[in-house]
Order: sequence, then C-alpha cells, then structure tokens
Amino acid sequence: MADAPARVVLISSLCGHYTGGAKEFEIEAQTLYDVIRELDARYPGLGEHLEDETSVAIDGEIHEVGYYHQLRPGCEIFFIPKIEGG
Amino acid sequence: MAKHHISATLNGNAVEYLCETQQTLLEVLRDELHLTGTKEGCGTGDCGACSVTVDARLVCSCLVLAVEAQGKSIQTIEGMAAGEHLHPLQRKFLEHAALQCGVCTPGILIAARSLLERNPDPTEEEVRFWLAGNLCRCTGYNKIVDAVLDAAREMRGN
Amino acid sequence: MDAKTIAPDQKALKVVGTRPVRPDGAPKVTGLARYGADFSLPGMLWGDILRSPHAHARIRSIDTSKARALPGVKAVITAADFPEQKYEFVGPERVAINYWHMTRNVMAREKVLYEGHAVAAVAAVSRAVAAAALRLIAVDYEVLPHVIDVDAAMAPDAPLLFEDMITRGIEPAPDKPSNISKRVELNLGDIEAGFAAADEIVEMNFKTAPVHQGYIEPHACLARFDSGGQGELWSASQGHFVVRAYTAQLLGMNIGDVLVHPAEIGGGFGGKTVIYVEPVAAALSRKSGHPVKIMMSREDVFKATGPTSGSSMTVRIGVKKDGKIVAADGLFKFQAGAFPGSPVMNATMCGFAPYNIANVRSVGYDVVSNRPKSAAYRAPGSPISAFAVESTMDAVAVRIGMDPLKFRLANASRTGTPTAWGPKHAHEGYAETLQALLDHPAYQAPLAKNQGRGVASGFWFNNGGESCATVHVNEDGTVVVATGSMDIGGSRASMAIMAAETLGIAYDRVRAIVADTASIGYTHVTGGSRVTFATGMAVVEACRKVTAELCARAAMIWKVDREDAVWEDGCARHVDKNDKGKSTGKFEPLSLKAIAAKRAVTGGPIVAEAAVNAGGAAPGFASELCEVEVDPETGSVKVLRFIVAQDVGRAIHPSYVEGQLQGGVVQGIGWALNEEYIYDDAGRLLNAGFLDYRIPVASDLPMIETIMVEVPNPNHPFGVKGAGEVNIVPTMAAVANAINHAIGRRLTELPMSPPKVLAALDSGAKG
Repeated sequence: MADAPARVVLISSLCGHYTGGAKEFEIEAQTLYDVIRELDARYPGLGEHLEDETSVAIDGEIHEVGYYHQLRPGCEIFFIPKIEGG
Repeated sequence: MAKHHISATLNGNAVEYLCETQQTLLEVLRDELHLTGTKEGCGTGDCGACSVTVDARLVCSCLVLAVEAQGKSIQTIEGMAAGEHLHPLQRKFLEHAALQCGVCTPGILIAARSLLERNPDPTEEEVRFWLAGNLCRCTGYNKIVDAVLDAAREMRGN
Repeated sequence: MDAKTIAPDQKALKVVGTRPVRPDGAPKVTGLARYGADFSLPGMLWGDILRSPHAHARIRSIDTSKARALPGVKAVITAADFPEQKYEFVGPERVAINYWHMTRNVMAREKVLYEGHAVAAVAAVSRAVAAAALRLIAVDYEVLPHVIDVDAAMAPDAPLLFEDMITRGIEPAPDKPSNISKRVELNLGDIEAGFAAADEIVEMNFKTAPVHQGYIEPHACLARFDSGGQGELWSASQGHFVVRAYTAQLLGMNIGDVLVHPAEIGGGFGGKTVIYVEPVAAALSRKSGHPVKIMMSREDVFKATGPTSGSSMTVRIGVKKDGKIVAADGLFKFQAGAFPGSPVMNATMCGFAPYNIANVRSVGYDVVSNRPKSAAYRAPGSPISAFAVESTMDAVAVRIGMDPLKFRLANASRTGTPTAWGPKHAHEGYAETLQALLDHPAYQAPLAKNQGRGVASGFWFNNGGESCATVHVNEDGTVVVATGSMDIGGSRASMAIMAAETLGIAYDRVRAIVADTASIGYTHVTGGSRVTFATGMAVVEACRKVTAELCARAAMIWKVDREDAVWEDGCARHVDKNDKGKSTGKFEPLSLKAIAAKRAVTGGPIVAEAAVNAGGAAPGFASELCEVEVDPETGSVKVLRFIVAQDVGRAIHPSYVEGQLQGGVVQGIGWALNEEYIYDDAGRLLNAGFLDYRIPVASDLPMIETIMVEVPNPNHPFGVKGAGEVNIVPTMAAVANAINHAIGRRLTELPMSPPKVLAALDSGAKG
C-alpha cells in the first residue's frame, strides 16, 4: 500500500523556463531530496535552480531548501522565491 | 601652505594640534586627535551626530573650523563620564534602551547634557524641541525622551 | 534540530523577558565603540570616488593621467581594475544577485546609469589631495536621454538602460527590449467569478516616491589588501560574510583569502546588506600597497546608494454587503533602479496576505530606470503594497459602513488560510493584533475638528537561514557566546539572555560578542528579522551541547553513569535514571564554575559550536492605529497618537523589541508625510541631504505606544518570531486613513506632504 504522494507546486515564474509552464506535480517522496531529484530528472537544470534560488514551504512552514527535510505522506510543498529582508 | 598650530582645552585637558585652513573641528577631533566618538553623519550640520560644546555652547563640529577652537574649551562625548562613573544621562540611556545602533548617541548625549545645564526640569515638549537637531533613525525617539526626563529627575534629586 | 517550546505557562523563565543592560552599552555611550569609519592603520591612505554628474550617459573614455601624476596620489582605479563577471542570475529571485550587474554598480563600465554612479577612484595621502585628484580625472561622456519614473520607464518609447533587456516571466518572451526586467503573477481561485459575485467593488490607483533607509552612519570601510593575495576589511555592514563573498568575487579572489572584521554599525535597515565601497577600497589598497579608508559623504549616500522603489499601483477589492471580501486584484509596478532587483515579488506576496480571500490575483513588474539600484528597506516591498491595499480596504469599509477593524477581523487569516502564493498559513497572530486595538480605550475616544483616526494592518515573512554560534566556558565558569551576526539593535543582549536561560546562569555571567569571518562559521545577514530567531536557535543549540558536555564531566567527577547526571538550574545534578530521574542527594550539585575548575582533568576545555539552516520562521503581523490633526491652512499633518500592535512571538528583551516597533513606525511616518526623492529635469537629485530629505525629528512625534502580542512560534526554543520589520508595513496606510477621516479626502500619493494635502482639500476629492 503506497503512501499518498506529495503535492508539489512551483510558483516562481522562472521555473517555466525549465518546465515549459507545468507547475503542479504529484511526486512520491520521503524527503525533499527525492522531490528535487525527481524534478531534475524530468526537467534537467531545474534541481539546481530550486536549490539555489528558492525557499520551500512544507505544509505552510517556510524552510531553506535542504535535502534532509522529512515529508509526511500527502504533504503540500510549494517552492517559492527566496525572501530577503532588510 | 603651512598648517596652523592651535592650542585649546579638550575635555578639561590642554591640547595642541596642527590643521589646514579648511579642516573642520570634526575632522581634527577624529583624524588628528583620534577621538572617534564624535561622528560624521552628514557633514553639513543637519544631523547633529557631530555635536560637541565649544565654550559651553552646543555646536555641530562639522560647521566649526578647527582654527576657530583656538583658546576655547571643547567638550566631546569622551569627556562626559567621570573616570569609571557614567554621567546620569549615559546611565539612563542604557537603562532605558535609548540606543539601538548607537551612532547618534554621542551627539544626543552632548545635546541633552547641554539642555539640562540650562533647564534642569524640562517638559517632554521642551526635550523634543531641544533635540530636534539630532536625528535618530533607529529608535523613534521614544526611549531617548524617556531617558532624558528620567536623568533630569535623578539630577534634580527627585 | 528538535526545538522545544518553553511557554510561559510551562516553565517560569528567569532571564528571557527581562531588561538587562546590553553588553556593548558602555562603549556606545562613552564614544569608544568603533564603527566602520573609526578604524585607522599606520600608513593609511584616504580613498575617494568620482561619480557621474549625468543620469544616463555612455562613457567614451576616462583619462586618469593627471590624477596619477598629482603628488600624494598613490593609486587610481577604474572598472578596468576589476575582472569582468559572468552574466547570470544566481541566488534569490528577488535580490537577483548578478555579478555582472554588481561589478558595474560598484564601478561603471560601458555606461553610467544614474547621477552619482561611480566611475573612478583614487587613494591619496590626505582627504584634500584625494578630492583634488578626482577633479583631475577627465571623463568623456556621451549624454543620453534618461527616464526615472516607473510609468515613464515602462512606456513604449522610453529610453532604454539595457538595449538587450527582454522581460523575464512572460511566455512567450517579448520580441522587443524594454526597461521591464521581470513580470511576476500570483493567482488564487478565480477573480472574475469573485468580482462578479461582489456587491461592492472599489478600485484605486496609487503612486509612491522612492525613499532612502536614512541610516545616520554613511557607508565606510578600511581595507588592507596586500600583494600576497590576502586582505582584511573593517566595514560597516549588516553582514560581514556577505561583504566577504561579494568583495572576493568582484576582486577575483578566493573567499578564504578575505577576512572581514565586524565593526559596529550605525543603522542599516537593509541598505547595508549590499556593498559599495569595500571592493573599491580593497582594489585601491592592493594597487597602492597601503591600507585605504573610504567614507561616503551624506550626499553620495543619497545619490549613489539604493533607496527603495518608487511605485505605481492599482488595487481592486470586491466585497459582499456583510463584509466578506470575495475578490482582490493588485497591480504593482516598482522601480528597480539602474539594475534589476526591486522587491516587487515580496510586495505581490505580502499585500493580501493578512486576509482570507478565495480569489486573488497579484501582478508585479520590476522596472529599471536611471536612479540608484534599489536596496532592501525594512520588509522590502511590503510597506509599499500595503499602502495601496490597506488604503483600499479602508475605502471598502467606508463604502459598506463597517468598522475598519471589525472588517479586517471578519476577513482575518488564521492557521490554514490559503495565501495568494499557494501554501496555507502555518501560523497566526493577526487577529490578536486587531483585537488589541479594538480593546484599546483610545479606539473609542472622541476626536475634535480636523482630527481623524485611521487603522491599517500588514504582513511580513521573517527569515530563517544560516547562522553559527560558538559557546566557550571560561576557567571561572563565565561563558562567552560568539556569533556571526552583526549587532545593529542590541542583539548581543538577546543572545546573552537566551544563553543564560538555557545554561541556567545569571545574565552577567554570559558575554556575547560578534566574531569575524575567520573565527566563526558562515552567518547570513542581520536583516529579515532573522537574528533573534535563527542565530538565537544556534546559540541555544550550542548551549545545549555545552550542558551535555558539562553533565559528562560531572559524571566523570562522580564516577557515575553518564545518564545519571542532568543539567538543571545552572548545575549538574545526580539523579537515578532508574527511578524516574529523581535526585539522589548523594552528591552536591556542581555549578559551571566548579566543573570549569576541573576541566583539564576531565578532558580539557569545554566548548561547543552549532550551525543551523533555520526554517520554520513564523511571519509577522502588525495592526496600527494613527490619529492626526490636519491644519487646513497649511496642509501640515501632526501625528497626535500612534499605537502599534504586533505579534512578536516572544519578546526576549522587551525594551529592544519595543524599540524595533517604535523605530519602524517612525520611519513609516516619515515615508508617509515627508520623505521623497526629488529630481530635476536632468535627472539630478535636488535633495541629497538631511535638510531637504526630511526624516522625522523628535519634535514631530508623540510617544509611540507599543502592544506586544505574544503568540509563541513552536519552531523556536523560546517561541521567537522576528520583530524588526513588519512594524513599518501598515504605517503609511494608517496615516493616510487617518488623514482621510480627518478631512474627508483620500490621498493616494506618497508622501502626503503639505502641498499635496492642500491640493486634495482644494480639489474636493472625496474619500
């Protein structure tokens, strides 16, 4: 019995450069590493963009992008542009 | 062009320095006498960060030529404490958290002391108007005013 | 790391929430603290920078021969002395770090793009000789037409800053270049359907002028770079690791060969998270073989360092008669300045974030124009979009006859509310700030003629990110906490408080310092309201490692199992792990001092380091109430009362948190009423000084009342939420709404200076 996949959304308009406009995905993953690797496999170069230029909201909590984030089944992941304050 | 030789009193001590005609007192304090407590915020007399007193008169040292200090008595922030004992204003600024970055603080302390020497029991409005020439960008002035009024209270013995 | 919340009702906090004197206090009130301009080295030269008098021009040639020949001049540099950088965007989309742009901003290459743009620099034996040398540098400019206003820069026939700029974020890409660097769009639900269902729709247009962060300390640094390939910098910045990285990149050096010392900093507000003078001083120092000091003049600070964006905005809000907001649409056009990178993305994300709205669209444009490159300014972008959104919200509340606070409360976001950018809110605290104002006695107090009361709210993200902390136990049991976070507003006190609380010792047994880039691990900037949160987390984690080590030493001293020693109330205590950890009474508790005295025989010095990439920062919410009196003769606006209610999570040092709230509000008041960049027809700044760029002074203001709402963040060991920025977000709208309620006129252009207020009174434009 498979766990529910994560719902992954890319909201940065720069991601369209890699995905041709596709924004929402369902990805089987236990960690954020799995998500990034899967997206990079589908869209080469997207992985590095996500690592360097985005932050990630996992079930609403905002984190720096890190391989180590554990994901619960069916969680919601949004890659958002990095926010820099002042 | 030969430099001018100036003799003055600085924080109660005799001091001598050489300066060029166009150098300001602020420049000499910081660059020749190495007293960097007085700050340059604008160089045009608009921010008060360079406040010192010359013969007990509150001035912007960026608007005073170094040659003008000849024979005069200058007080800077470095002379405000008495040895290891802070002036009540300095203590109250720390207690009230009346500084955040602290760069305007020396000028404001000099200006506030000048006020309290003239008016030991100022109202909040009087404090605000006296300090209107000292810009602070961090605190919004709230805790500065609180600290000055509290120091005045202590100095009056209330 | 596994963070536990220590909530007030779970455990009494002894140090957190108290108001001790900051450790760097005495040097700051006695003039001994050393800021960026306060350092000197023997043999030091003075650097000075030649700046463009034109807003837009091609550089045909630069002749430095006469300057180089002037006695006392030891080095002259231009862009030719810096390596070229690759054109690529790396790093955060909003900040758009592109070193190709950055090196050109630090020193112009093909073109000058704003009045004040650096074109050359000299190092000389005195300030006077350096200034004379600049006058001898001959630059041949081909002056070009310029454009500054954001709408003008977007017009089809506008002069182009970059002939090859094709707007990113539009598919398919445009076939003609323009000044629009980027377009962003966020969507939630279906706004057409939402507006179709609305009973009332309000649409308004807004314009804001660029404003400067206004830190009292100009940029300054001292550089000592040698022919051996290494260098040191003493610099006034919000992040010495960022200074190191950017300087190394721009000089073509390894990061490890540059050491940056953290000087005290005289204000930043975001404007010192970028660099201007450091690479120039470093290059001059390397070329001359001497240390070089550069201090920017106040005029150059205004002309050549980034103010925030000016903007042109349209907001449309649809609402049901009962007060439910059904649709919101925002268009935000921001000046980026000479190079791309305005905070428009932040603005689109923050504007509607306090609200639960099913249908939202938010569009942003990043537009280059001939003024300095914009730099971050306290919650970058959010105060600007909030001015538009919160003014429109006020107009909507008036339209449906609803109290403005209750209107916001009826639509307030809470945990689980979707945001316009996608994720659901994971934290709340907004409703509590509204309630705090509703409950305040001032809210119902009567007002006199020409007086008005306005309210507004705001949202800001608050950052997490990378921070390091090192904790050492000294031989006498006192503790040093070193972090990599520049201290702008008293954060060393907060670090010491959190360390003292975690270790269970008195505040004055802990000293917090800021370490240089070689002495501690990478730490991101002091900005984004991140230090108490992220660096605090690193401090707590390092302290926990220390207490674990102290217990191990105690177990060794007592010759018991490691698990039988626990740390409690500042001491190692012997417990029985097999009996629910009950105290055995067999050994006297061992204090830090006692264990430190035995450190050598138990293994050596007791130290710990922690590094975090902190996540789970909770955003900030603030609601503000402003009362003004307008003088109908002069148009002058006097602020009579101001109350700011902000969710701070937990106030580690309440005085410094209050100070952030008060400081941000006062910057917002200046932004609302006075501050703006005023240009002449040639694109030159007319008010490049504090006399005519009028920031609030003490006599302008009442006491700013603060209400610190505490809804702890469970992701931080002490419940901290960033507190430094969100307080500026609602302020301009609160003032505008107050003016509207005072005189029945709604001003939609910032600043709301006396001529604009008078014009509004004369025109009869109703609110």
